Amino acid sequence: MKKLILFYVSVAFLAFGCGEERGDSRIKVREGVGSDNIVSNVVTRPVAKAFSALMGEGIEIDEAILRRNNAGFLELHVNGHNRSYDTKRFRYRVEWLDSDGLVIETKTSVWLRTSAMGKSPFSFKVVAPRKNAVDFRMDTRKWE
Amino acid sequence: MKTKTLQIISLVSISISILLSGCEEKTTNIDVVHDSGKPVMALDYRDFDQAASSLVQSMLASGALKKDDGSRYVVATGRVVNDTMQRIDTDQLMAKIEEEILNSGQAVMTSAVGSGTDKLIHETRELRDSEEFDQSSIAARGTLLAPELSISGKIFQRNIRYDKKRQQVEYYFQLKLSDAKTGLRFWQKEIIVGKRGSSKSVAW
Repeated sequence: MKKLILFYVSVAFLAFGCGEERGDSRIKVREGVGSDNIVSNVVTRPVAKAFSALMGEGIEIDEAILRRNNAGFLELHVNGHNRSYDTKRFRYRVEWLDSDGLVIETKTSVWLRTSAMGKSPFSFKVVAPRKNAVDFRMDTRKWE
Repeated sequence: MKTKTLQIISLVSISISILLSGCEEKTTNIDVVHDSGKPVMALDYRDFDQAASSLVQSMLASGALKKDDGSRYVVATGRVVNDTMQRIDTDQLMAKIEEEILNSGQAVMTSAVGSGTDKLIHETRELRDSEEFDQSSIAARGTLLAPELSISGKIFQRNIRYDKKRQQVEYYFQLKLSDAKTGLRFWQKEIIVGKRGSSKSVAW
């Protein structure tokens, strides 16, 4: 029994290291489409998923890029990835700040929905509707 | 004996009414900024907020409202059709969009023509021959500006049977921005709001 537990724990640890797909990182080949690997194997998959859930894995934001578009409005490009095996659905809300750090009131600062598939990158774009926006703050919450 | 029975009846009645008032659902105000209420099959204010936000962001980011000489476009709201099973005042969507276009500083909305017409603009012009009014305070002929761009659109609904117990309702918000002079379309966008729920729920 101890050996079995040790085997599963080892597999779960391995899964974290071996979960990344080979080949072009821009192309995601999902379970049931590509060849099985140690994570997507029918035996080890439940263990890896359970371990991921136990670790409470979710989304992570990699970078937030601000740029001013040709029309003169500030754009926020958020890039991140979902560490979990499950699709994560969440809401985000962006508030725009002026040069004094004060919040600019706008109808576009509402909770918007998005989602990220398991073990995949995601990105979304938000546009400031005022030209005096110089910075932002963003909040997230679960999509019920 | 009769008095005692009456006393018991009134006591029971009071107790029941107190109990019933305790069970009654309390009315609460909705936190319209951070509402965590359950979604509904019909369109609610959150759906309009989301659609308006996405549409405005797309329109501004496209640069369609940016005039080369730096001046502002005159924009009129045309017809926005409600082709859903719900009684929707399309102003619920357009008021938010018009507000954001105005506040963006890139365009001005006109109240002279279109669905946002202010009747008083035309009524005051009918006073030109009235002796009761100081004629110098009445707008002269040829002072109204015609719109250069017009916004029109449509909101429509599709009901689909998902399985025996559930239905899928799809709402489409479509908006387009056209040049009034040339008829050319500068921008358009569609936002889909999809809902899946009990077949017993009525989506209108």
